[in-house]
Amino acid sequence: MTGTTHSDALISRRVRRLETLLEDRGIVTGAAVDEAIDAFLTGASAAGGARVVARAWTDPAFRARLLADGISAVTELGLSAGGVQPQRLRVVENTADTHNVVVCTLCSCYPVRLLGPSPSWYKSEAYRSRVVREPRAVLAEFGLVLPEDVAVTVWDSTSETRYMVLPRRPEGTEDLDEPSLAALVTRNALIGTAAL
Amino acid sequence: MARMNDVGGMQGFGPVDTTDDTQPFHADWEARVFALNGALIAQKVYNLDEFRDAVETMPPAEYLAASYYERWFFAIRTLLERKGVVAAGELDD
Amino acid sequence: MSLRASSMTDGRADRYAPGARVRTVHHDPPHHTRLPRYARGKRGTVIEPEGRAPLADVRAQGRTDCPVEQVYAVRFAARDLWGEGEHDVVLDLFESYLEDDQP
Repeated sequence: MTGTTHSDALISRRVRRLETLLEDRGIVTGAAVDEAIDAFLTGASAAGGARVVARAWTDPAFRARLLADGISAVTELGLSAGGVQPQRLRVVENTADTHNVVVCTLCSCYPVRLLGPSPSWYKSEAYRSRVVREPRAVLAEFGLVLPEDVAVTVWDSTSETRYMVLPRRPEGTEDLDEPSLAALVTRNALIGTAAL
Repeated sequence: MARMNDVGGMQGFGPVDTTDDTQPFHADWEARVFALNGALIAQKVYNLDEFRDAVETMPPAEYLAASYYERWFFAIRTLLERKGVVAAGELDD
Repeated sequence: MSLRASSMTDGRADRYAPGARVRTVHHDPPHHTRLPRYARGKRGTVIEPEGRAPLADVRAQGRTDCPVEQVYAVRFAARDLWGEGEHDVVLDLFESYLEDDQP
């Protein structure tokens, strides 16, 4: 799957024509399309997910609420996990014995509001086809080699539940405050293809 | 009948390109397609499941050759023609 | 780990409780479905109900008579999916994708 193709100019022209048609028929306005793009690009980043993780690391009661009911807990922080259709959020916790990794084999379901736009690899056939079959081999391609005795669970987002991984808190971070902890959290750690 | 999108467990796609890209759109038209689809679903022209269905009905060879947002554009055109919002062929060159 | 049981709000009982042994249907529909090929006809264990949702198979056809069903998180052992492997895979599956598994 490539990002751009030789037919970019052709598609660009066709998309413009479609947008004009939809505007003429009163279905969309160019301004609304611009606004939606801006909102997506500015409002969505993995910073939300990172804040959630930092709070969970420092507040055991919040962590318990987060694992019990993700949507309610992230709402406490003024965040939303919402999408086009009503969604649930399940946060899955990595421990010394268990590692979680998230995929959508059928399309590309992803907690956009918490993690921002998904990386291209998440949408690739290579990732979607293989991580359910051979997760350790795929994780190794990300540079993550797990001890043999760690149990791996792959979460395939086949319905309207969205998944986020709660990574393990790195050692030696006891003195860090919440914003400093949030700065340690990477997008891949929230998907489960990296540890911290 | 399994569709081309249903790739879980399929062999042959090779190693994952783990490049950590931060740009969701690689061209302006991709952003337009993304936002147009959101607007059409919000306006209830079609729903998200119909959209997924339309992506999946892309012929396998075309699906694999298409970029992510090319698939979206295919689905949007398919649904708008099916719903009669645009006439068949109206979006062709 | 338990999501709030939104399923309890409409008075309908869930068919499967956490821990129930289930088998996915072995169908091959010509239409959209959210039961991937690799998980058809497989044995798994219900983690818990996740809340009711319109059945995607029907909703994808643009029909207005779409049933609303419970969705369950179901855990499968890799060995039961692929014949090998030590990991687990969890899928979110509509109730009509599931049948009782006789031990």
